[in-house]
Amino acid sequence: MLKLKEVGQCFYPNTIEEAAKLLKESGEDTRIVGGGLHLTAFPNPAIKTLIFLNNLKLNYIKEIDGKISIGATTTISELANSAEMNGYLKGNVKKLLQSIASELLRNQITMGGSVAQREPYSDIVTMLLTLRADIVIHDGEKEIKTPISDFYKSNFRATLKKSVIKEVLLEKFDSTYKFGMKRFTRNATDIPLLNFGILAQVNEDTIKNVSIVVGARPGPAERFAQAEEFLKNKTLSKELAEEFGKFVEENVDVAGDIRVGKEYRAHIAGIFAKRILNEFMEE
Amino acid sequence: MKVHYKINGEEKEFDIQPGELLLDVLRRNNYTEIKGNCYLGTCGACAVLINEVAKATCTTLAAQVNNAEIITIKGIGTISEPHLLQKAFVEKGAVQCGFCTPGTIISAYALLKNNPDPTEEDIKRSIDGNLCRCTGYVQQIEAIKFAIKLLKGGK
Repeated sequence: MLKLKEVGQCFYPNTIEEAAKLLKESGEDTRIVGGGLHLTAFPNPAIKTLIFLNNLKLNYIKEIDGKISIGATTTISELANSAEMNGYLKGNVKKLLQSIASELLRNQITMGGSVAQREPYSDIVTMLLTLRADIVIHDGEKEIKTPISDFYKSNFRATLKKSVIKEVLLEKFDSTYKFGMKRFTRNATDIPLLNFGILAQVNEDTIKNVSIVVGARPGPAERFAQAEEFLKNKTLSKELAEEFGKFVEENVDVAGDIRVGKEYRAHIAGIFAKRILNEFMEE
Repeated sequence: MKVHYKINGEEKEFDIQPGELLLDVLRRNNYTEIKGNCYLGTCGACAVLINEVAKATCTTLAAQVNNAEIITIKGIGTISEPHLLQKAFVEKGAVQCGFCTPGTIISAYALLKNNPDPTEEDIKRSIDGNLCRCTGYVQQIEAIKFAIKLLKGGK
């Protein structure tokens, strides 16, 4: 089944500068290929040129200047199995990564590809927004670092016609930070119909520095500012979890689609919000 | 364009179109032990090892993995000399219609190469991308556990 019939040439650049230059020169019908899943599962027959990132050595996970730097072609499996993720936010990011999609897809989906595609149902995008990651792109001449929320507020799709994602940077949060993310799927390996993430600093049961993100709404993942404001400076308790669950159900910005209705999505969001706070208390 | 692979230990060169899927290239060249089905990476029937990592060939471009080492189900054992995983699948009734079996064994093989002493959760996670509509997975999990015992016993 030849899905990409018009592809006539492919390039294997050796440097990210070369990749960005090829991307700029090759025009509209060119695609950067990281893991290649999106390209093959949802092929665009108009694509004529492919630029493979295989030779760029962007498969890495390392600690630099207090941050975890994850190369763009690092797969979900590589990140999940890395030593850096073992104790990161009490292992909760690792557990989440291991639950996304299936082993064969986790072996193919890359961090850079997930950021670039920003699929509405992406668990990786919700996770990175919740963790307030930075995205580093290379425009052929220089590297540009941008907080992921600003990156998505910008015209990032136009930017990525001229630039290549180099890496994702994660903050190394101290032990006062807690992270939880839930995903609702029809079966274990399906795309989520809703995902919900919370990162919060909990100092003597007081919640601070909180970020809350909802994805697969079914629109793309977004910060949930009202919910962040609701939790700010509150004391973590079972009563708060209950109250927060109701607040989320009533205020979350979700819609219905062919898979699940708006009310059901909102209800699930409320349940996830409550469960995550209850889990924070058990940690 | 031409691509080069080392498949089951043998050097191979194929003519391909740059937009072709690895699944199609391999099956066209008689590696029919790799099954094609969903073309979305969701069923796992087409899994092979690419540079020691289990991947779906239906979502992998042949050009992307130029110069890769590929191992199919026939590369880990033969009918006359089956791998212990293959023996275990037969022994435990984990093969019924057989369509998913090559991909499932490839995924289990990848797990045991990296983790010879997996938990049941590790086993389930390793084959979560290989759909089986016959066994309900119970026999497959039993077979993988049995293979681990056999491998530890050195048989």
